[in-house]
Amino acid sequence: MITKTAWKNVWRNKVRSFVVIASVAVGIFAGTFSVAVMEGAIAQRLDDALNHEVAHIQITHAGFRANNDLTCLLEDAGEMAEKIRSLEEVEAVSYRLVVTGMANTASKSSGIIINGIDAEREKQVLGLDKILKKGSGSYLEKEASGNRAYIGEDLAKNLNIIRFTLTDAIVDSLMAKGVPAETAEKLQPLAGSRFRNEKSFRKKMESVFTREEQKKYGPLISEISRSFRKNARLALTFVDYHNYHTGGMFRINGLYDLTNNMFESTQVFVHYDDLARLTGIPPGQGHLIMVRLIDVDQTEPVTSQLKELFPGTEVMNWKQIQPDLAMMEGMARMMYGFFMVIILAALAFGIVNTMLMVVLERTKELGMLAAIGMNKKRVFRMILTESVFLSGVGGVFGMIISKIVISLTARQGINLSGYKEGFEAMGFTSHIYPHIGNDFFILVTILIILTGILAAIYPALKALKLDPADALRTE
Amino acid sequence: MKVLELKNVHKVYNTTQVEVHAVNSVTLDFDQGEFAAIVGPSGSGKTTLLNMIGGLDKPSQGQILVNGTDLTRLKSSELIDFRLYNIGFVFQSYNLIPVLTAKENVEFIMNLQKWPREKRDRRTRELLEAVGLADRMNSRPAQMSGGQQQRVAVARALASKPKFILADEPTANLDTRSTENLLDIMETLNKNENMTFIFATHDPRVMKKAHRVITLEDGKVIEDRKKQ
Ligand SMILES: Nc1ncnc2c1ncn2[C@@H]1O[C@H](COP(=O)(O)OP(=O)(O)O)[C@@H](O)[C@H]1O
Ligand SMILES: [Mg+2]
Repeated sequence: MITKTAWKNVWRNKVRSFVVIASVAVGIFAGTFSVAVMEGAIAQRLDDALNHEVAHIQITHAGFRANNDLTCLLEDAGEMAEKIRSLEEVEAVSYRLVVTGMANTASKSSGIIINGIDAEREKQVLGLDKILKKGSGSYLEKEASGNRAYIGEDLAKNLNIIRFTLTDAIVDSLMAKGVPAETAEKLQPLAGSRFRNEKSFRKKMESVFTREEQKKYGPLISEISRSFRKNARLALTFVDYHNYHTGGMFRINGLYDLTNNMFESTQVFVHYDDLARLTGIPPGQGHLIMVRLIDVDQTEPVTSQLKELFPGTEVMNWKQIQPDLAMMEGMARMMYGFFMVIILAALAFGIVNTMLMVVLERTKELGMLAAIGMNKKRVFRMILTESVFLSGVGGVFGMIISKIVISLTARQGINLSGYKEGFEAMGFTSHIYPHIGNDFFILVTILIILTGILAAIYPALKALKLDPADALRTE
Repeated sequence: MKVLELKNVHKVYNTTQVEVHAVNSVTLDFDQGEFAAIVGPSGSGKTTLLNMIGGLDKPSQGQILVNGTDLTRLKSSELIDFRLYNIGFVFQSYNLIPVLTAKENVEFIMNLQKWPREKRDRRTRELLEAVGLADRMNSRPAQMSGGQQQRVAVARALASKPKFILADEPTANLDTRSTENLLDIMETLNKNENMTFIFATHDPRVMKKAHRVITLEDGKVIEDRKKQ
């Protein structure tokens, strides 16, 4: 009865209730959607890191990480890998040679880390073949002859291996892709020009386009105009096992594309055999063993198991290698909760205000209820219930809208390519697929109910202070 | 057995400037089944007296005994329960719950008393029929006339069979036809349910119907007349 009356009371002042409900709905939606975007970005970052960059567990010679010394080798890396592979929690294992050096083209050079990998095994451990940039060639396959390298798109840009060419055909194709004729025509005089790097290309674009055009069509035009010289040559230099300077010419087999600029511009992959031969490291040895588990939640126990199995080596899992990611994952939930609490606290003031007006308006009615024998507990409950309905209805709408908008945007993702560089510098994708777990909605529901209750306490206490005889005398 | 006894009851309001002796040394008793009106000019202390009888206000001095229980000794939480189980109120401005239907308003007190549904439904129907509103069960107060609303209020007050009904100026907002109608209904209920009614009023139409008229002036009882 009290619940029913409270529910009906919500709709007494429809406009006022609607304003409160709408503000709660908008607040919940804004908060939930922001969290979903953050969560989507973090999930993508974790996914990239675990599946394409660091795997789950790495083993090195105890001195390797500290000294970055090429001679700190795991001499029986091959056998170790075999042993680890036999553990039931393990999905795949590979071992690598890791050598720091320089990559040089005719015009540029850049400091890099060269990974000598077993191409087939690395497919299973890190799915390196899956991050191949479309149209840029292929992953390191066995068949190709000579030294082959698989490098990041960013490194290719830095080394001027990616160029920007505007041909007539490209200008024509822009219109087919939705660029207005007047914008495309501005490029006509430039047809036939080549640019050595993105910076000079963009400068030129900026000089012919308005800022809006640049913002709207710039990314598309540079995407289409970019050309990659297949089989471009790259000189890699490094020191060998005996501390002599050495190196080799490598042909670029393909480019990979990750969201992490840092990784992309430094990590170069070549065949294990090529790097072993050039550095003079005997086969079966490695600097780094990479382990991929079937279930990432088994990371901790398997880490300790491997530590016991290989004393004297350094066993580190992804949480230790990338503490920022581990922290991000651990703190994300707390941050989201905190974020929602702040939003709801702001909304609570609106509810407090509304409920105070309710109590004031219904002074006489509350006096009557007390007179006919409704006790304080029931009056308190009625006001709290009304407030919870108010916040709850708003919350339900907010969550429904969130759910719809998140599932709609998750299909295509949200493309923030305008801020691509900023995101990628931090290792995040600019193409975000918002995502949120159902447990978040449970948390939000609890918070909404709590908000409704807390916001009603002060107004309800005011209602309890009313003297029924006085209240009944009011007009 | 007296349902209600007032012994030397005083009420003094201490306002900022003056002391108002709203009720002054009132001693009265009521039997089960009375149909009594407390009358007197505006400001004579009728509402104050009724509020004290109903446990909404505490006397400054004196005793109020309901079936032998002294109201002045009850704590305020006990007073609320006392009101719920013993007193039915009818107010000048009806004071129905605007969001509830006639039926729900009548049921409200039975709900607070946790009556089972079946018993509640039967009593509600019986009362709404008695006040001639069986066909308006699902109307909201705003959809009814003042007279109809006050009849719902009477039904609500009677619903849980309290010891007595206190009605403060119940006819003040009603036209003559509605007033006569309401008074007839109350008189019938008084007879059929042997329910005690105490009115505070200065409406001559009520005085005419009342079986006992108690006249107040400046908080004092100056006349207490029982009709045959
Ligand atoms: N809460 C109060 N505070 C101070 N004075 C009051 C209060 N309630 C009533 N009075 C005074 O008590 C007297 C009696 O009032 P009331 O019982 O309302 O009379 P009636 O109902 O006969 O018109 C009046 O003088 C009124 O001003
Ligand atoms: Mg009065």
